[in-house]
Amino acid sequence: MIEYIQSALLLIAAFLIIVSAVGLISLSGNTKNAVYGRIHIVGLFDIACIIALIGLEQYLLAGVYFILAPFTAHAIANAYWKKEDRENNPDLMVVEQDVDENHPFLHPKEKMQALESENSEKLKVDERFSVTTIEIDEDE
Amino acid sequence: MDILFISKYILIIALIIMMLASLRASAYKSTSMGLLGSSIIVNAFAVALIIGGKLYNLQFYGDISLALIFFGFVGTIAFAVTVGGEDK
Repeated sequence: MIEYIQSALLLIAAFLIIVSAVGLISLSGNTKNAVYGRIHIVGLFDIACIIALIGLEQYLLAGVYFILAPFTAHAIANAYWKKEDRENNPDLMVVEQDVDENHPFLHPKEKMQALESENSEKLKVDERFSVTTIEIDEDE
Repeated sequence: MDILFISKYILIIALIIMMLASLRASAYKSTSMGLLGSSIIVNAFAVALIIGGKLYNLQFYGDISLALIFFGFVGTIAFAVTVGGEDK
């Protein structure tokens, strides 16, 4: 009976490994965020290997693999994000925020910058922002 | 023929297919893809070694595959940290 369970686990693992291999090949390199997609597919391969190791009665190895595999995937994705992805796609660093103009507390950044600029008409009219300078003569 | 014996060979064939697929994937232009492909190959080879050890009754293959999985992880993390660099 145990032999059948083991062979079923191994066959399931083989099926998952072939599915992940097909996915790894068929995912085009021109797709947006292809590297992250491939890292995701490798997660399936890792789980298939863990199932195979359980089927082969290697529980310690399966546990070690189960703990270490997410760290590997995260480290590769983090390295790709920090260097290659950000340098090749500078648009990723631009955060677009949709702010409602009628919101009482939140205002768009451009609107506030226009208000604070020197050419703003509202600032010239407003006396609270008037600047006085005192000239100090050192001889006195 | 024993079904467990057959399923072990099917798993080895699947692992070889995965190794070839990861070789193809590591030829992608990004450095991280090469890192990912080498990580897949190391892990697939470790599982294949376990199966070989079971087939031919070689116990030390398990130790080799444990070392492969552990040190493959260490090497991958080290290279990923080097590629990523410091936080800006």
